[in-house]
This record gives sequence, C-alpha cells and structure tokens, in this order.
Amino acid sequence: MDTIGEFISYLQALGPSKFLRVFWFFVIFEFFRYFLLDLVGLILHRVSIWTNRKRWKRAREEFKKENPLVSIIVPGKNEGKHIFKLVKSLSEQTYRNYELIIIDDGSDDNTPIICKSLLKNGLIDQFYRNEERGGKASAANLGLRFTKGKYIIHLDADCSYDNDAVEKIILPFYYDKDIGGVGGNVMVRNYKESLVTTLQAVEYFNSVGIGRIVTSQFGIYRIISGAFGAFRADVMDKIQGWDIGPGLDGDITVKIRKSGYKIHFAPEAVCLTSAPNTFKKLAKQRYRWDKSLIRFRLRKHKDILFPTQGFSIINFISFFENILYNLVLNFMWYFYFIDLIFNFPNLILHVILTNLFLYTSMGYIKLLIFGLFRKRTNAPNYYFIPYIPLMVLYFGYFLRFVRTRAYFMELFFKASYNDPWNPLKTSIHAKEKGL
Amino acid sequence: MKDINTEIIPSKENDHVIEFAGYTFYTIYNTDSLKTDDIVFYDVIIIQAGDPEFTRHIITRIRGHFNPEHYLKPILLLNQSSLKDPYTNLLDGTLYSLEQIKLILPKLQNILLRIKDLTFSSSLSYEALIIQKVLSYMYSRDMEEMEPFVDFNSGIGYNYPILSVNFSRHEEHQVLNIINIMLEEKLMKKEFLDSVYLCTKCTTGYLSYREVCPKCNSSNATSQDIVHHFPCSYVGPIEDFKNQIDDALNCPKCNKTLRHIGVDYDKPSIINDCLSCGHRFQDFNVKAKCMTCKFDNEVEKLNKSSINALSVTKKGQIMSVSGYVTTSKDLQEIIGTVKMDTFRTMLKYEIERLKQTEGNSNLAVLHLKNSGEAYSTMDNELQRTMLKVLIKAIRKYLPTSSVITFYSSSTILIAINDLPLKIARRLTEEIITLMRELMETNFKNMIVTLEHEVKAVTVKLSSDLQIQQLVKDYI
Ligand SMILES: [Zn+2]
Ligand SMILES: [Zn+2]
Ligand SMILES: [Zn+2]
Repeated sequence: MDTIGEFISYLQALGPSKFLRVFWFFVIFEFFRYFLLDLVGLILHRVSIWTNRKRWKRAREEFKKENPLVSIIVPGKNEGKHIFKLVKSLSEQTYRNYELIIIDDGSDDNTPIICKSLLKNGLIDQFYRNEERGGKASAANLGLRFTKGKYIIHLDADCSYDNDAVEKIILPFYYDKDIGGVGGNVMVRNYKESLVTTLQAVEYFNSVGIGRIVTSQFGIYRIISGAFGAFRADVMDKIQGWDIGPGLDGDITVKIRKSGYKIHFAPEAVCLTSAPNTFKKLAKQRYRWDKSLIRFRLRKHKDILFPTQGFSIINFISFFENILYNLVLNFMWYFYFIDLIFNFPNLILHVILTNLFLYTSMGYIKLLIFGLFRKRTNAPNYYFIPYIPLMVLYFGYFLRFVRTRAYFMELFFKASYNDPWNPLKTSIHAKEKGL
Repeated sequence: MKDINTEIIPSKENDHVIEFAGYTFYTIYNTDSLKTDDIVFYDVIIIQAGDPEFTRHIITRIRGHFNPEHYLKPILLLNQSSLKDPYTNLLDGTLYSLEQIKLILPKLQNILLRIKDLTFSSSLSYEALIIQKVLSYMYSRDMEEMEPFVDFNSGIGYNYPILSVNFSRHEEHQVLNIINIMLEEKLMKKEFLDSVYLCTKCTTGYLSYREVCPKCNSSNATSQDIVHHFPCSYVGPIEDFKNQIDDALNCPKCNKTLRHIGVDYDKPSIINDCLSCGHRFQDFNVKAKCMTCKFDNEVEKLNKSSINALSVTKKGQIMSVSGYVTTSKDLQEIIGTVKMDTFRTMLKYEIERLKQTEGNSNLAVLHLKNSGEAYSTMDNELQRTMLKVLIKAIRKYLPTSSVITFYSSSTILIAINDLPLKIARRLTEEIITLMRELMETNFKNMIVTLEHEVKAVTVKLSSDLQIQQLVKDYI
C-alpha cells in the first residue's frame, strides 16, 4: 500500500521535463513513432483514399476490363496436407483468371502423390518437383520460370485467403503504374490457440495491419510477406526472381525498390496464417527473421545507405527508419536501462511500474483508436482486452531478447548462413559471396 | 457281322473314304468345300491339305461346332508339318503316311470308346453348353489338365485349346467367364500362371503401352534437365543456360559459367515439353492403346484377369459322364428356391437357433440318378418349365418354413424346419412318390431312379459339414 501511495505521489510530482528525462525511450519509441506517426499515417491514408476515389474507381474498371492472367506460385516442402485446403480456398476466389503452380522442394512425405492427383484432376495447373531440395528461393524461381501470367502471386501453402484476396492484391497495380510489388495483410488465424498466438495476433494487428498501412502511405513499406505478395511479372523478370534466403521476402522487396518501383500494402487483401503456438517455436522463427535485418540491410544492400549511383531518398529513409527503430533503438534500450540504474537507482521500481502503466495505456488507446481504422478483422477487438498488459512483457522483453541475440549472432558470426532452412550446397555460396 | 479289315483299303465308291480295322476314315482335301456336315457318318477325319489356312479353317469348324458328333470327332493330319498351335492341340495325331494309322489306332479306339460313356443333354444356358463341351472333350481324350499357351492371335493373349475355339477374337474374354463358372462350380481346379490386362472397351489383350502428354495424350515430346544454379538461386530448363558460341553453360541470372555439378549447380529434376500441344509437365501419363479397337486405356482402369492352368476335379469327371446341364446361376432363377449360398447361411442360423431352443430340424436330399438322360430329351425351355413345375409341386407338401435349393441340376436339398425327423421322412417319401409319378408321365420310356436321404440337423457339426455329408454320394 505504501509503495502504491508513494508511486502515485511520484507521478503527481513529475513535471514535463523530468518526465522526458526519465521516459524518453517511451516517448521516442512508443509514443512518437508507434502512436503519433502511425495515427498521422492512418489519417493521411484515409484522406488519400477519399481524394483519390475516382482514380481507384478507374483502376477497378481497367482491371476488370483487362482481366489479366494471374500466376499463383506456391513453393514448399512437405506441404501436401495443406495443398488440398489451399486449392479449395482458392477455388472460392472472386477473381477467376489465375493459374495455380505448386512447386515441391524435395518433399520426403506424400506431398508428390497428393499434388500429382490434384494435377490429374485439374485442380492445379502446373506441378513441379525437385527430387533434391534446393531451398525456398530456388523452388519459387522454378515456379516463376514457368508462369504465364502478367502478375505473379506468391503464397504459402499453410495459409488461407479471403475470397476477394486475389482481386484486392492485384488492384493496386492498376492504381499506380509504378507499383512493382504489393503486400497482402497477414492475420493470425489461430489467435485463440494459446497465449503466444493471442499475443502475436495483437502484434500483427499493430505491426502489419496498422504499421504497413502507415509505411506504405509514407512510401517506405519494406517487406512483402512471403505468405501473400503480388508482383508484376515484367519486374520479376528484370530482377531475376528470388535470391537465396533466409529473409528472401524482405530481400526481394528491396530489389524491387532498387530497380525503381514502388511497393504498396493492400490492407484489404487478407490472408490468415497459423502463428507458432509456443514461445519456443516463436523464438526460433523470430531469430531467423531478425537476422535478415543485418544480413540484407547492413550487408547485401548497404549501398542504399550511401549516395552512390541510383541513390533514392525514399529508399534511404525506408532503410534508415528500419535500422533506427529496429536496430539502433533496440540497443538503445539497454543504454536506457543502464542510464536508469546509474542515475535514478532509487526510482527503478517506480519507473518500471510507470513504464508498464504507460505502455499498457498506450496499448488500450491504440486498440480503441486504431480499431476504428480496421475494416476487416479476424477477431473482435474486445477479445484482446485482457491481454494488452502482457504485451509489454511480450514485445518489450521477450521479443527484444530474441532480437538482440539474432542481431548479435548475425553481426559477429553471420549465423544466417548456417541456417538449415537452406540446403548446405546453396548456403556455402551465399556465405562466400556475402549475399 | 461285318468283316474287320486289317489292311488300309480305299473305298471303292468314295475316294474320300478309307476303311481300316472296322472304322471308316474320311479324308478332306484342300480342294474340297469348307462344309463339314458329312463327317458325322465317319469315325475319324483325316485332313490332307497343303494349305495351312484351309486346315485351320476345317479344324475350327469341327471343334467349334456345338454338336458333340462334330466336335468330339477324332481328327488326324496328314503330310503337313507347318501347322502350329493352337490348332495342333485340337488334333488327335499327325501322320506322314497313311501307314501310320496302324500306330495311332489304339489311341483312336480309346477315344471312340470313351465317347460312348458320355451323356449329352441340351443345356439350360450357353455357358452350360460350352462347359459340357469342354468336359466331354477332355473326358474323351482322357485329358485331366488344360493348360493355356501364349497365342498372338488370341484376343486375351492366351489360348485354351477346346475352349477358345468357340469364340471369335472379339468375344474371347468369354473364355475367362466360362472358366470362372467352372471354378465356382468346382468342376475344375486352378493353378495360377499369369495375369493379363484387357482393353476396357473391347476386352482384347493386345495393348501398346506408352508415355503420353497428360493433356493431349500425344507421345511426341522432348525432355530436358532442370538446372539449379546455387549462388543466385536461378532455376530453369537447361536451354536457359545454353549459348550459341560454345558448349559452356552460363547462368542467365548472374552470367557465371557453371563449373561443377554438385558444387555450384545441380539438376534437381527434368521437364518435358509436348510437341503436339505445347504443354509442359514433369510426369508422363502411361496409357495402353488397344491395337484391336484403338481405344486409349487409362492403365489403372484396365481389367486385370488371371490366366490359370486347369485340371478337372472328380465332380467335373462325373458331370462329364452324366451330362452337364446347367450352372448354379441358371438354377437360381427357378422360383421357390434360394441360392446355395443363401441356403448355407440359413442353415447356419438354424443351427444357432437350435442351440437356444429345443426344436427339431431336418435336412433332406433328393437325387435324380439319370438326370443327364432325362434332360437330354428336353430342350432348355422345357427343362426350365419342368423344374418350375416340380418345385411348385414339392412346395405344396412342405410347411412354409422349409427352404429348397439346387445343389446341382440333379440334386435338390431341402431344409425341413421345426418338424420331428419322422414326419420329415414321411414328407420326403411323399415327395419322391410325387416326383416319380411326374417323371414317369413325362418320360414314358425312361426308368426313373430317384434316391433320397433325410437327416436331423445336429448342433454339433457345422452347416457346411452336414451338407457335405449328406450329398457326398450324389455329386
Ligand atoms: Zn546464377
Ligand atoms: Zn500435349
Ligand atoms: Zn479395345
């Protein structure tokens, strides 16, 4: 009781300058970037839709009139059990002019049998199998090589799609001829399965559902999810498909940006994915994802950060924002913590509690306000109310530690090149060439 | 009494006829017409024809006939060695000179003697007719086994000597149906030899298997390797890597030259391009084109049949002598009876019921000993009518809970349920009297031999065993 009373009086005594001194991390990181800037972005997005409504209408008409062939490629290993569901979910699509190409990357289960029978029954249009696994990029490239469509959609076999998802993800290409790639809106299907999937649903809601609208609005959207992305076939031809991963989703997005095209996020093109259902699996997934920031931003595509030939300010900002908020501020957090311990040793408990309070309040405010901007939801907002306080622990601690480890391992040990996600025969070459 | 000549003497009246050892031999030359109606007047046929085509035709005509006086006739071939299977299998001997008749005489005598053992009755169905023919032929030649042999001209790829001759190439799959009936009726035993796949359209077995485009079924296609360049993840057909200047393979994505398979590149699969429709695919379809009707069969849908060597069972031998009238299938159609299988099942349940309650049930067998003789005087329509009338009459004597089945065309089984053995015996005897009267009024010149037996059903033995014990003397 005493502590709480003391805490409240502490809060009352805080003046603005003192607040900033102690909670600068919250202000820069959470309040400024992930609330204010997002809110501005969302409002601008709404305004832009309204002011460009005629242009969107024209785009829809043109798209409808042209009715282009869309090639859907689905690379994967041992995904046979998901393929039938995927085929069924695609057969519900409002957009009909598509070809479905499945690439089996060296499955050692019954995947080839399932796919061959689907092919025979005309439920998939093309099926290719590599007896020897070559890695996700090579499987996607094999599919890409045999596409006939004007647009390419890349899907993951274990996801499912809204029945207008294909239509919604292709439409932006008709809105702006400079768009080279469009990312779909990935939501967590199994948000009820466990605590960790629920927390991920909240995270996706903020970082994908909201975050990508905002970055797309500011022109700095930087990652088209492998689970659901669309590309112009001619652009794919120019950039010669996917390079070796892991992290090939982010990589191909950068390659498209570099060749002068815009990247767009389509919030209404919805895809449901199954998120990892244990903290251990999630940590493994994020460890892989997070390493690619170092590998692709700081190594392979570091030229974007320097004023060399073909320098683009928007690409620079996109990278800079990514590096600043994910890499620099991630390490700054430790700095912030040390700062507190040294300069405010008596207040540590108060500061932690206040931070908890601030982040939680922000969480609720975002749930409420950003909720207003969400058109299509996979879960009712109120479902997440009890979990918001836990987000501080999830996002602020759990994910931060995973991220720190990933950055550290990649910076100093190039760990991603040893990831069994790629077959050794290809990783060796990637490591050698620093790709 | 006629003299039995011991020399081979050409007949004075007819230059086709030779007499020897009391038999008349009729010679067919290839200048003769194909009509063979006259052969019934002679004991043995000798074909003396240089033309194999003609010889084959004559053999087919005689052995493919439906009258036993034709199809059982001994046939010898003179001065022709070029004849091959299946026709040589339908001959009783090959001679190089007429003198050799003396050597072959004992065999001919044996055949002619054995033919006299046989009873022929008009059969209730076409299948029964063919079966009777096979059994009689094999009996007359003292053959216990029938082995099929590979035959290019056979519709199913295998020829069963006396069986296949009855069918044209297009209906030769009927041979397998007949064999199945013979096996089901336990007239023959089988020994597996081979499997054949038959066209789903025309049931012949001459198929051409080939790999075709899954889209247009054309077999006109080219194949090439898929190449994966590891450093840049480019994957594509090998043609993407070829250049016009030299034999080197260059990556179209990163321009590097491919060096060492397994190190910087590999070939994870192949790709086929159909030259007819342009379809690109990895897996060919395998199709079986029928060389008879041209239908392109899906391999999975082909009819698979077993080819078996056959041997006559004891039942088969008895049936060949007494005359095989009808298959069980034919008898199943007689109103008032149940199938043998149903009868067995019902008896099984009756035994179970008797275990619970203390009732009495009985099993009766009625057997017409000279049924072949009786049936032979009737055409199949009359046979059917006779059986119907008979069953109807029997039914009148029996309580409704009784069940009747044909064990064979000459043996009837009746389950007389819920009556003491004594009464069941009396009922059976009344039925026998009735049957005898019926037969004697219908077949004036025939001595009717009816046998019967009645046993109480016991719960100690299985239904199958009880049936077997009852009928074992009356196959
Ligand atoms: Zn290459
Ligand atoms: Zn074709
Ligand atoms: Zn055919």
